[in-house]
Amino acid sequence: MSDVTSAAAGAPARPQVSVTGLTRGFGGVPAVQDVSFTVGAGEIHALCGHNGAGKSTVVKMLSGQLAPDSGRISIDGQPVRLGSRQAAQRLGVALVDQELSVVPALTVLDNLLLGDVSAPLVNRRRAALARCAQVLADLGLDRLRPQQPLSELSIGERQLVEVARALSQNARLVILDEPTATLSDAETEYVFAAIRRVAARGCSVIFVSHRLSEVLELCDTVTVLRDGRRIATTPASELTVSDLIVQMLGEAPHRLTAARPPDSLPGDALRIEHLRVPGRLTDFSLTAQAGRVYALAGQLGSGASDVLRALAGLHPQATGTVRLRDRAVPFRSPVGAAAAGVAFVSNDRKSEGLFLDKTIAANLLATRLPALGRAGLLSSRRERQAARTLAELVGISGHRLGEPAAALSGGNQQKVFVGRCLGRDDVYALLLDEPTRGVDIGGRTAIHRLLRAAADAGLIVLFASTELEELLELGDVIITMRETRMVGRYEGGADGAVLMRDMTHGAHAA
Amino acid sequence: MTAADNDHRPAPAPDIPAGAVPAYQASADTSAQAASAGGRAPGRRRTDPLDIGIVVVVLAVIVTGALTTRFFSLANARAILASTAWVGITAIGATVVMIAGSAVSLAVSQTATVVAMIFLATQQFGLAAAIVLALLSGVAMTALQGAVIGFWAANPIAWTIAAGFAIGGVATWISGGTTVYPQVAAFSGLNDTPLGLPLAVYVLLAGTAAAEWFLRRTTAGRHMYLIGENPAAARAAGLPVGRVTVIAWAIFGACIALTGVFLAAFNTSANAGLGGTLSLDAIAAVLVGGTAIGGGKGSALRTLGGALLISAISDLLLLRGFSTGIQLLVKGILVLFVVIAVHVRAARGRG
Repeated sequence: MSDVTSAAAGAPARPQVSVTGLTRGFGGVPAVQDVSFTVGAGEIHALCGHNGAGKSTVVKMLSGQLAPDSGRISIDGQPVRLGSRQAAQRLGVALVDQELSVVPALTVLDNLLLGDVSAPLVNRRRAALARCAQVLADLGLDRLRPQQPLSELSIGERQLVEVARALSQNARLVILDEPTATLSDAETEYVFAAIRRVAARGCSVIFVSHRLSEVLELCDTVTVLRDGRRIATTPASELTVSDLIVQMLGEAPHRLTAARPPDSLPGDALRIEHLRVPGRLTDFSLTAQAGRVYALAGQLGSGASDVLRALAGLHPQATGTVRLRDRAVPFRSPVGAAAAGVAFVSNDRKSEGLFLDKTIAANLLATRLPALGRAGLLSSRRERQAARTLAELVGISGHRLGEPAAALSGGNQQKVFVGRCLGRDDVYALLLDEPTRGVDIGGRTAIHRLLRAAADAGLIVLFASTELEELLELGDVIITMRETRMVGRYEGGADGAVLMRDMTHGAHAA
Repeated sequence: MTAADNDHRPAPAPDIPAGAVPAYQASADTSAQAASAGGRAPGRRRTDPLDIGIVVVVLAVIVTGALTTRFFSLANARAILASTAWVGITAIGATVVMIAGSAVSLAVSQTATVVAMIFLATQQFGLAAAIVLALLSGVAMTALQGAVIGFWAANPIAWTIAAGFAIGGVATWISGGTTVYPQVAAFSGLNDTPLGLPLAVYVLLAGTAAAEWFLRRTTAGRHMYLIGENPAAARAAGLPVGRVTVIAWAIFGACIALTGVFLAAFNTSANAGLGGTLSLDAIAAVLVGGTAIGGGKGSALRTLGGALLISAISDLLLLRGFSTGIQLLVKGILVLFVVIAVHVRAARGRG
């Protein structure tokens, strides 16, 4: 770790990485056009942009996964050809990918060494262990043992291991693509501290995130892309979140509010009484009325997401009583919960959400097939109609219905995932775990609008989130949670600072 | 990691001109196929290494066949169809189970043997009753295995090896290890050959059509594709994973039972070795047809093609005087080739 000279820390002026006229198209459609920027040694440079702006394409070109059609990438003044991820790594480019690429079956140590081209053929175990322990400590992961299998770790901890792997490679350029999407705020702070340390050693950092306040907090410079072109490169100190949003969208977004006073038909409510999940959730009770949006505010491990998973039947060991529209919900099996009118959108879109090889149409219809025919026989006409109606509802072109869901961007995939639960007569409660995880601002607004419309149509909407902006924007009632318990309940507006205090170090409410 | 880039809206597959993506509503037929997850999505149709390979093999068979006397004759075509029928019927059931994500069963031979014994032992009640009893026993034995796999997530391979030993053991125990002979031969009608083809061939063709329709046009069939592709997602979505798995295995059981009935009728007696290598022959046909062993992709029609291709190659080798050993060897190479092609396809899809 310490063999890199830390001379450049004070002088970020010298461009260490420069990108000139980068262009790349797909099948004649330009995804990135003439993008240029430079990143100095020790500089943390943010790459921001709306869905389809070209961020991921730029990241893929910088990390050797895609070849540019034209343009040049230089490191230390030398034009480089990054033919593959391995080649890029040899030239000093480390990448933390948007999707987890750690291997659950291996230990923490093995994962850290995985794909490190500088690792010697014969492992020197003790040296590796010491280095591993140091890297973990830097990320506040002292509690993890290097020999622990990754499968014992939470999603957030796995993401931290992935970050640790990139930061430990002594790279000249570290690219982090949405590294904090699955992290709690405390974990995010550790990642930021580690990024700052790496930058102080003279490494260039490119940081891609949808969390704009994070971007402004962490980064020195912000480059905004829109429709594949560079819109602006501005020092972060001269920017506010709304400036950034304007640069990204070209217009200021508006806030969403309830369209009508929430219904209070007591019979339609979701009544949760003394819901418990051993080790994860302690005595949770809530009555949620139809037509309103309920937000569960809690970091990883707070129990917020476990409330939803228990209701969806994914915690078979859960206990308590749950009634929906005055009928008991058999919440110890997912089939029972679904039959009672509960629809669940998991925070893990890839492994617990979409059927990525199947078409967009098949995904939109996946949970409503019985409603599209009679006695188990499907009607093609009704299928087509339903798919088209849903595509229109979630804002995806009807021409794309036959494409595999994997071809969609993250934001559009999430729209399909949410859309799958909408417009069904047999769904009364919609549960969403991190409804806009890894989704850009535009997609996020669209999904929020869908959820608001669903509530207005009489659904009970209950979501868990770790993002303050989302909680405040969407929740009619906000319930804060910490360490498996409910902490507070806020109706008709709440202060972000209060929520944050509840979620991180507040006192437990009675 | 996904094949799709996260950021550029229009380009699902870089090498396809935009016009090649058909509109969803182009015609009832294509959209039904597109929506029924089985068919590969039109948006990213690339040349599939498996399909290229299969075409090459088929061409090789045709060319060699043309150079072989009596290969292209009506009688030989009948022979190929006839030899496909027994394995083919079972393979159709195996396809359904594989699509639904339960990989394979290694208890097929034993189940077919027991069904054949039951069928022969109940001949005195009449043909219809014997067939019904045979089907019921086949469905019961196999659906039970499916229930354990569907509801308790047992590993299909380990579990069906165990079930296979148990079923074979019970069969040997009850029959006393001897051959079962029927009291009366009510089954003789099953060996008829209308239009020169064994009855089993018609059952195979009808079964393929029925399975294809079931997989594409019914709720349960479509759930099978979803469950097979991503069981965790299917579970979280509240899809009836257990029930659908049992349905798939029940269909498989009925197919195995039909094969058992035809085997019994043809042999007019049944001993413990009657099922032979049916388990592996059926799996080979499904794999050569290109159904994904991991689940979620495939079709009964493809399996019919796979079964016919294997039969045609065996027939060709037989006509050219190669030994049974060589025939088996070639079958092995064919399956190996498909496994490699499927692997290449999967690796490409990821890249």
